Amino acid sequence: MDSALIGQSLVSGLGIGCVYGLIGIGFCVIYNASGIVNFAQGAFVMLGGMITHVLLVRGQLPYIAAIVLSVLVVALLGVVIERLVVRPLWKRNAPMFVMILATLAAQIVIERLTFLAVDDQPKTLPVFTDLPPIMVGGVAVNIQSLWIVAGSLAIVGLLALFFKGTRTGKAMRACAINREAAALQGIPVHGMLALAFGLSAGLGAIAGIMLTPTQYTAFNVGVPFAISGFIAAIIGGFGRPFGAFLGGLTLGVVQSVAILAFGAGLKTVVALSVLLLFLFVRPSGILGAAK
Amino acid sequence: MTSSPSTTLREAARAPARGSLRGHAARAAPWLIAACVVGYALVVGGYAATVVAFALIYAIFVSGLNIFMGLTAQVSFGQSAFAAIGGYASAVLTTEYEWGLLPAMGAGLAGALAFAFVVGYPTLRLKGHYLSMATLAIGLITYEIAVQWDSVTQGYLGISGIPPLGIAGYEATTDRQILIVLSVCVIATVLAVARIRRSRVGRAFAGLAGSEEAARALGINVARYKLLSFLLSAGFGSLAGSLFVHVVGYVSPEVFSLHMIILSFTMLYVGGIGTIAGPVVGALVVSVLPETFRAFRDYQDLAYGTALILLLIFAPRGLAGLFTAIEEKRSP
Repeated sequence: MDSALIGQSLVSGLGIGCVYGLIGIGFCVIYNASGIVNFAQGAFVMLGGMITHVLLVRGQLPYIAAIVLSVLVVALLGVVIERLVVRPLWKRNAPMFVMILATLAAQIVIERLTFLAVDDQPKTLPVFTDLPPIMVGGVAVNIQSLWIVAGSLAIVGLLALFFKGTRTGKAMRACAINREAAALQGIPVHGMLALAFGLSAGLGAIAGIMLTPTQYTAFNVGVPFAISGFIAAIIGGFGRPFGAFLGGLTLGVVQSVAILAFGAGLKTVVALSVLLLFLFVRPSGILGAAK
Repeated sequence: MTSSPSTTLREAARAPARGSLRGHAARAAPWLIAACVVGYALVVGGYAATVVAFALIYAIFVSGLNIFMGLTAQVSFGQSAFAAIGGYASAVLTTEYEWGLLPAMGAGLAGALAFAFVVGYPTLRLKGHYLSMATLAIGLITYEIAVQWDSVTQGYLGISGIPPLGIAGYEATTDRQILIVLSVCVIATVLAVARIRRSRVGRAFAGLAGSEEAARALGINVARYKLLSFLLSAGFGSLAGSLFVHVVGYVSPEVFSLHMIILSFTMLYVGGIGTIAGPVVGALVVSVLPETFRAFRDYQDLAYGTALILLLIFAPRGLAGLFTAIEEKRSP
């Protein structure tokens, strides 16, 4: 194996790792606001790419408009799921397991609706900027990967500003620390939950849109993405958004190296094995769990 | 939030109200419904028999799931793994190596139990969403392996030409014979689960379901009983997988995908989690109802998913909850 090949797979691993990281952040944002693990997270990733594709091809919208509209629609859908599925169960104080099952069922419902509305064919999107790959010491870095890395870093930066600098962001962090105390301070805890769902749905959609030009999207890609995002969150220590991002990068790199070693067919098995390894050996993640 | 998946513990712990006629009727009702559905399929045969046979196999699988989730109040999204092990062991050993049916089934069962023991030991220490995700991962890993391990499982193509159910020269080949064999299996399963629930082990499960700390304080070895419950559940899963491949005559990884997990949870919640009759009634109702709307076949998963969400929100105790509600009205 020559070093260029390894370099190549590290680069693609970092690209996909950023996407896993964003999905992982989505998990953490909802978990922190409510203690809920949303298993429908993958649906948002799938829908981001899918809706953009539909707007672009069938709607003939400009690329930028299609992207923005798609993110907004998916974020809105996140809020709708919170209202229709999560809120009623939350009010009834449903066991956590029931919540997980309900969101997993929501994932299936969204998948099937997408299947019926579009079809089962893989769809792709054009790359953001059509330029030849840059050569860095024998390693070809494609431009879309740079978009993914730069876009993800920008989003992580914006999120940091949001959580540290804005009133709403601080209120969400307060909910994460102690929901009852937050409610006593006059923070609308239910509203924060809806916001968390909207935010992490939007994050998932952005991740899906950035990734789709390098891969493809289809109605059933959601669950593997959700699991990868969850693994990212576990590696980083559940409930730590920035840990999740690092976890995503770790997973992306490990997975790319594993593809090089064992072939692409086993990439899901490798990812799941990493998950089991962490759960068994160090369930609190690299940085330690948030609570 | 508690981590217990079962909403009927109160009912499981309470001795059933005896004596009242209405109580008896309410307890018998689910069994009568199940018997009527199976009887109808026996008489009509053909397609109805195929659908009900499928439901009976799921009844065994869901009964197993119910031991772990209903009686012991644990969480597993990965029971499909054990059905896959049983199913593939039966399929491969009977077609490729020309083993008999029972030895192949036994090998599958042993394999599933060994796998459950190995993964159960580290997994069952986890709680909450960690346990949920770890078990889901186990189910999905098994599915991926079934897809990727071409040389044994033949990947997406699947294995066909699996011999039908049969013992010592007698083979169940017609719809009615298959139904009778499966009915016997379901009755045996139900009796076994009922026996387990009443036994010392079953009481330990119920104690564990109520509170792990309290159970530990009472001298129940929590880790050991959790593992035992997991093994029992895996055993029934494996048997259901074996029965499935022999009845259908064909197996592919799709049989053991996420679809199976969602479907079995829908059945468990429709019938009523934590009850003996629940899994059987749930499996029959969930399998038979979509068949009455056959025009909507494409919408099946959509219907299961939506039904599951609505049930979780509005009727978390399922049909069994309905029957016990009737029973409770009269009992003091």
